[in-house]
Amino acid sequence: MIVVRVVQRGDVDALMRLAHETGPGLTTFKPDREALAARVERARRTMEDKAEPHEAGYFFVMEDTDTGDVAGVCGIETAVGLKQPFYNYRVSTVVHASQDLGIWTRMSALNISHDLTGYAEVCSLFLSPRYRTSGVGGLLSRSRFMFLAQFRERFPQRLCAELRGHFDADGTSPFWRAVGSHFYQIDFNVADYLSSHGRKAFLAELMPRYPVYVELLPQEAQQCVGLTHADTIPARRMLEAEGLRYENHVDIFDAGPVLECHIADLRTVRESVLVPAQIVDTAAAAPQDGPRSMVSNTSLGDFRVGVVAGVPQDGAFLLRAAEAAALGVNAGDPVRVQPQKHKQGRS
Amino acid sequence: MLFVRPGRLADLDALEHMARTAQPVLHSLPHDRRALEARVALSEDSFRADVDFPGEEFYLFVLEDSESGKLMGTASIIAAAGYSDPFYAFRNDALIHASHELHVNRKIHALTMSHELTGKSRLAGFYIDPSLRGETAAQLMSRARMMYIAANRKRFTPEVFSLLLGVTDENGVSPFWEAVGRKFFGRDFADIEIESGGRSRTFIAEVMPTYPVYVPLLPEAAQCVLGEPDSKALLAYEIHLEEGFETDRFVDIFDAGPVLTAQVDRSACVTRNETRLVRESAAAHGSTYLIAHNGGAGEFRCVLGELAVNKDAGASLSHAARAALGVEEGDAVRCVPLHAPHRDEPSGEAQ
Repeated sequence: MIVVRVVQRGDVDALMRLAHETGPGLTTFKPDREALAARVERARRTMEDKAEPHEAGYFFVMEDTDTGDVAGVCGIETAVGLKQPFYNYRVSTVVHASQDLGIWTRMSALNISHDLTGYAEVCSLFLSPRYRTSGVGGLLSRSRFMFLAQFRERFPQRLCAELRGHFDADGTSPFWRAVGSHFYQIDFNVADYLSSHGRKAFLAELMPRYPVYVELLPQEAQQCVGLTHADTIPARRMLEAEGLRYENHVDIFDAGPVLECHIADLRTVRESVLVPAQIVDTAAAAPQDGPRSMVSNTSLGDFRVGVVAGVPQDGAFLLRAAEAAALGVNAGDPVRVQPQKHKQGRS
Repeated sequence: MLFVRPGRLADLDALEHMARTAQPVLHSLPHDRRALEARVALSEDSFRADVDFPGEEFYLFVLEDSESGKLMGTASIIAAAGYSDPFYAFRNDALIHASHELHVNRKIHALTMSHELTGKSRLAGFYIDPSLRGETAAQLMSRARMMYIAANRKRFTPEVFSLLLGVTDENGVSPFWEAVGRKFFGRDFADIEIESGGRSRTFIAEVMPTYPVYVPLLPEAAQCVLGEPDSKALLAYEIHLEEGFETDRFVDIFDAGPVLTAQVDRSACVTRNETRLVRESAAAHGSTYLIAHNGGAGEFRCVLGELAVNKDAGASLSHAARAALGVEEGDAVRCVPLHAPHRDEPSGEAQ
């Protein structure tokens, strides 16, 4: 069974193997043992309540419990920007009007902002190419909302997610060409690497200090503002279905959109229910071709979530023994259940 | 002989003709005859008035051919640009973006809407009849204003400026306007140019950018014309540089044409001025000078003449020049070499 679970200290080797499957571009998940071990340690320390607020963050792995194969990762940062500033552009509206001339024009300006400071962030999602057709990407991404629902008190009021912006077929960003390259004078990938590794001093030194008028930029750069990378559109749809919205914040390098919401408004937080688990034999369990639910345990240090057949019935949820074992659930334990929209069952 | 004098109400017909034919539009000369008449009357009053500091005065000069009596050009000085309204220009600021860690150090230019030139004296309304060839008439018409300023310092600000036409293509399209102004106005340059009344209308504040505009982010075509004079203004540009005007601090908000500024103290008309006494003798061989005389009751004349380089030789002027200037033997005149000394040593090429 495929489950998503919080990372354990023993996962570093498996993470190294998985990280070798990433291509260039993903800057936060590289086959760097020291960095991966630190990330795991940080997540464990967070769950042990030993992490400072600025370093608190959770990290999850997707595992096939039948084979022990680790096939994906994702993360949640508790509160961004508390040590290194968290920069975005806020896309503001500027109206210029003259009654005398009968002129009214609306423009947009990009303002460097720290508006999202203190927001939780869902991040670092990577799914092995070997699993991309198996319909488990949705589970990997949504598992984090189950965690947020279960441990609501460990998070601030709001959540954000940064999405990759538009890149040309040659892999370059028109927005970076038109804006960032003039200010930062370094390659996009270098800037992205430095920024995602906490070396953000250059941003403050080099970034535009005044708002940038969008309409004065070349057309191809204007179109990038808030535009999602073609490969990231499914992720955006999933986040939007969960309740996140584009609220006029974009990335400072590629102008990709930032999606935001109040954690309390997340669909999974609003709709998921806690019910006791009953462990039943296969004959008594829900049919595999019927409605399905995302189900998690309630353990912080061994949080596990997966998709199983069935919906809550009579104030309880029926799990097969194998499912209960994979999810780390004993009979009578509370489980968090989020019934899936039927058509999304295996999507 | 060509000479410059203040414009008069009697010149109204000729001025109206020039106002209507001048391209680009002369903001200082309205097309409407009554408005034009008021403008000329204001100029007459301004020349005659006792002025201790610059205010609403407007000085209109004309270029007359003394043989035909025909007016061949005009130019003006606005004592205080904008006066009660702001005068808008883009200030061209250099911002340093530097990072030690990345070994990056870059100067980034940004254009900021500025009122800094408000109230400063402005040279404006330059027009020369297209039949006048060569640069001499243009030199005389343009620089006579600085000769007047040099002789009447209290009437003007210590720094003066002049706005020249920016680059437009063969269809009259300004690449800078297309990249900037059009985005804010949503209209054609020519429309707004006429309505803008010389960069002092309040709608400019309503419509033009509140934030600085980063130059490197603009399309290449717009960056290329920043601070560049149109080919039609190239001569005027060179004349201003010769007078000591400087570029680069400001550009026009609409077409990014150069806004040239000069400290009057450091301009050629002040630093190279020689006050000479008029001599009634045949013109000497030497160099070309701007020669000006401030008469009584607001009278002012300026001509070009050939003078001996030695100041003590005085100003030997022909009958025609003396008549144009309204001077006699023994009168003092202000003389300024038309070109910088290294270009007009007596042994050098003839002018």
